[in-house]
Amino acid sequence: MIFPTEINLLDISAVILLVATFGLIVSRGFSNWVNAYRYQTIVLAGIVALIASISNIWELYIVSALTLGIKAVIIPKILFYVTKKLDSPIKLEIDPYVSMKLSVIISALLVAMSYFIFLYLDIKSNEIIQVFLPISFALFFIGLFVIVSRRKALNQMMGLLTIENGLFLFAVSLTHGFSLIIEIGLMADILLGVIISSILLFRMSRTFDSIDIKNLESLRDD
Amino acid sequence: MFLELFSSLESTLILALIITPIISGVLVTFLKKKKIIELVTVFSSFLILLEGLILVNSILKYKTISVFNGIFYVDSLSGIIIITISLVGFLSSIYSVSYMGKQYEKLIIDEKKLVRYYQGFNMFLFTMLLVPISNNMGIMWIAIEATTLVSVLLIMLYVKQSSIEASWKYLLIATVGLSLALFGTIFFYYVNTADVPLEGDALGMNWTNLIENASGFDPNLVKLAFIFIIVGFGTKAGLAPMHTWLPDAHSEAPSPISALLSGVLLNCAFYGILRFHIITSNSIGSHFSNTLLMILGVVSIGIAAASIYFQKDLKRMLAFSSVEHMGIISVAIGFGSVIGIFGALLHIINHAVVKSLLFFASGSISQKFETKLISDTSGIIRIMPITGFAFLIGGLAIVGMPPFNIFMSEFLVLSSGFESENFLPSVLVILFLVIIFAGFGKHLLKMVFGNPKQTIKKGDLGILSIIPMLILVSIIFVMGVYVPEPLQTLIEDTSQILLVGDLHN
Repeated sequence: MIFPTEINLLDISAVILLVATFGLIVSRGFSNWVNAYRYQTIVLAGIVALIASISNIWELYIVSALTLGIKAVIIPKILFYVTKKLDSPIKLEIDPYVSMKLSVIISALLVAMSYFIFLYLDIKSNEIIQVFLPISFALFFIGLFVIVSRRKALNQMMGLLTIENGLFLFAVSLTHGFSLIIEIGLMADILLGVIISSILLFRMSRTFDSIDIKNLESLRDD
Repeated sequence: MFLELFSSLESTLILALIITPIISGVLVTFLKKKKIIELVTVFSSFLILLEGLILVNSILKYKTISVFNGIFYVDSLSGIIIITISLVGFLSSIYSVSYMGKQYEKLIIDEKKLVRYYQGFNMFLFTMLLVPISNNMGIMWIAIEATTLVSVLLIMLYVKQSSIEASWKYLLIATVGLSLALFGTIFFYYVNTADVPLEGDALGMNWTNLIENASGFDPNLVKLAFIFIIVGFGTKAGLAPMHTWLPDAHSEAPSPISALLSGVLLNCAFYGILRFHIITSNSIGSHFSNTLLMILGVVSIGIAAASIYFQKDLKRMLAFSSVEHMGIISVAIGFGSVIGIFGALLHIINHAVVKSLLFFASGSISQKFETKLISDTSGIIRIMPITGFAFLIGGLAIVGMPPFNIFMSEFLVLSSGFESENFLPSVLVILFLVIIFAGFGKHLLKMVFGNPKQTIKKGDLGILSIIPMLILVSIIFVMGVYVPEPLQTLIEDTSQILLVGDLHN
């Protein structure tokens, strides 16, 4: 039922998604991250549409459109507004806990690890699952890595959004969309989460004059 | 579907339960006057309590209630969670009037912040109430994630460095944790529908459907999915070692919210674990999930013991005590015997009652003494006699002194541990409980009976802060000697749901 060209299309889109994700790792500027996230999400929406056309589930087209509308237009708009308004003097990730070069190598290893994990999972798979499930794990791990290795709160937020994209890809490729209501609920949660963390970022930059998380280490037990 | 709205008492009740806080939140947004929004919130919380109790009464009668084509589904397990949410929610709304009123008088917050607080309070109740009534595990997940977002808003109400730090950590860790839980939920959906793929249907994520098909699931995938679930919801339920956000968030929130976070929200997250624990037990037997629950529980109690003993901050101490008690509940479920499960469910309610009492008292104490440090707080009973008395009772109850309610549930839990021959975990739990007894007791006696500073004016903080505490104290006394008949039936029914897994294997 699936033609070779479509499989190629699947592979190509998966590679583009990974490249877009690596864009987040290699860039230092605040607005570059938002752009990287936007490209990542546009590719993701395309993948969802592709899965919709292969599996013939019309609901997935709506999900794809929603992804494009909410996560590739509205959320980047909010984030661009945030980066513009933040009164942080230098809008760059200057010295992350892990250097940029090492980050790329680690992320590549994480991608490899995702494929190994997928091989260990014994999932009755079709082509869609085979192509996208490892990629979704990779997005999750890379997002987690960004959260723990970067110093700027905004960058951590991008990590969180990458994890969320991975989760979304995981859900769509494994189950081909569970239900429109749940997808809409998830999107609403993400939108609310982005708005709340933006408020938090503003407060952080106003209170500490920066969004460096080294300021956030006073609450401990000793 | 709309015809069903008034067709039965139950469907109306369930709908009312979630619509009441929404209406109240909208009213608060538009009315804006301090006195009125306080009244609206207290009244709506009272309505929620009433609706909750009537609903639980129906649950006792029908065992399971499914309305609106199975979108909402409640059974005895949901009933227990609904009771804790509505009871603590109501008392917390009364206490809020006193506590936030004081903060307002002290000019710590302005009227705008007060409106935002009551909006958040109502939305917080709404999101928590959505958790136990939804049949669809995906919607349950969305509700739990929404509780995180709303409570972050409430924690960052004060613009302080420490509350910004606490909210950011909470938001990051809880969201990452919950994303793992969603991985697990999707895995369960996948194993449920793997034989009939390519079906964009929400039915496969319904609890009723999952439990029906559970015995046919692929065992390896179920194990993997449950690990995701327990790590994910365990993060939100405050199980160690994923608990690191909890002491920060619970101690930085306004005290009425701390009570809701510790006493109720942790249970909502644990409810998620319980639901999937039942599915897992039905599918592969209870040994696997029981062992995991036991390990995480013992680790939680151990870490809490160390942190409580050396604690300097009153509210952080109470937060770590919540980690301890979630650990006890988890261990008790893990023991897997009838008595243990009965004890665990009773402990959920007992902990909610005692911990909210302690947070109310600690809120009044820190407002009076203007510090949260244990070393600067002493002689509470002489300065604020009623609050001091309530704090003492709560403190004695939380460390498991007889004849208070927590003693009863902890006793059941430990005896079930020995009965089910889990000697090592039981002995470890006893050891840690002794350490906590010593540590908490030391701090408690010093704070209640020490020599007060002369500079502080005597007197309690007003009737509205005292009423909720006294109600809770009387519940502690009553539940210490006997469990009321309806509650006992409710818990027994729930134990049946939790034990069903063993019958299949």
